[in-house]
Amino acid sequence: MSQKNCPTALEQILITTRVEKVMNWSRATSVWPMTFGLACCAIEMMAAGASRYDFDRFGAGIFRATPRQSDLMIVAGTVTYKMAPIIKQLYEQMPDPKWVIAMGSCAISGGPFDSYHTIQGVDKIVPVDVYITGCPPRPEALIQGFLKLQDKIMSSSLADKYKEIFEELPR
Amino acid sequence: MSDYVYDLKTAPNRQVTLPITVPLPSLKTYLAEQATAAKADEAKFRKATADFATAKAKAEVEGTELPKPPIKAAPKREVHDLVTPIPSEAKDPDLLRLVERLGEGAEEAFEQSGELVCQVAKERILEALLLCREDASLRYEMLSDETATHFPASSSFAFSVVYHLTSLSRAKRLRLRILIPAGFEPESATPAYPAANWLEREIFDMLGIRFQNHPDLVRILCPDDWEDYPLRKEYPVTGWGQRDIDFREDRSGRLERLAMEKAGNAGINLKVPKAE
Repeated sequence: MSQKNCPTALEQILITTRVEKVMNWSRATSVWPMTFGLACCAIEMMAAGASRYDFDRFGAGIFRATPRQSDLMIVAGTVTYKMAPIIKQLYEQMPDPKWVIAMGSCAISGGPFDSYHTIQGVDKIVPVDVYITGCPPRPEALIQGFLKLQDKIMSSSLADKYKEIFEELPR
Repeated sequence: MSDYVYDLKTAPNRQVTLPITVPLPSLKTYLAEQATAAKADEAKFRKATADFATAKAKAEVEGTELPKPPIKAAPKREVHDLVTPIPSEAKDPDLLRLVERLGEGAEEAFEQSGELVCQVAKERILEALLLCREDASLRYEMLSDETATHFPASSSFAFSVVYHLTSLSRAKRLRLRILIPAGFEPESATPAYPAANWLEREIFDMLGIRFQNHPDLVRILCPDDWEDYPLRKEYPVTGWGQRDIDFREDRSGRLERLAMEKAGNAGINLKVPKAE
């Protein structure tokens, strides 16, 4: 090893990074989802949380029973018109920062239910970060979608929250 | 979110094909159909015989080959799993007892594949239900299900309301049925069977049948402000697209119920449902 690459004594005891990166890392590795299933996709979500697939490996195994302690809402299933205001209310009760995964074709676009009672995609009522296709998606697909969400969290910036304010400011 | 299409011509998926038949199991209808079919067969055979007679006379005069005499066709018998069970005369003592006690009130009683069916006059359904529950030889303690069907093709009635009764002590089942025209309000079954409360709310929600003396007749599955009744045959089930979503605060009516409970109303909604 050359002299140049050898860490100095100071570098051996110090890690230099950015606050943003640390915060993103801590957020991405402890995403607590909400216990919230609407239809058969919830069965796959439960399977993903159980020991065979073990969602907890990615820090997302603690399904909270209240929106106040949750970071992630996995909309797993068909969203009806009667359920829509409740989903909206639960989303608004979650503290920032919060993310939403639309799991399965029903939550993405209404799926096979071009019907009088089904909302044609949960993105009509709440902003969605990751869409997972499938009917229902396998636990592997949910894990893949969750890893995508982790990537998104890692690449986000603390300034994102103020992006709209910055854009509105005169240059 | 402005895809809410009211014009059926611009939304072909929302076109509805109404049924043209009345698939209501009934002994009377079955016998009438059989009689009509037998009559038609008889007329056909008579015509064939007359044709044969003239053809035979003509052939004898001309000296050509004689035509074949007509053969009476044997009645068609379908043998597969999907054939509809044939209704038969009521022989079960329960049905006979019911007919005896109700008299004119029992319009029809028959058995179909071992199931007991009794059609009751629409004004006397509560009396029939109380009888089924209280009569010592009937003792149908449980209302398993109550449901209704829309029959737009029928001219004499619009809906059938069906009551499925179960006797736990005697391990028997019985089905009561009423046929009601549009706008008729049958009596609620709640005095006889409290379980009918939510079932009748569902019937009201899905088909718009209002029940007299029901304690709490409001929608149960659809939101309170829903328009029209989805299980009616003329209701377009598909092709709605995305519609406006109502986010008003007390959408389920829960806050209103709590306020009523506070006012000493026991949380029971006494308001009359919105007129059509």
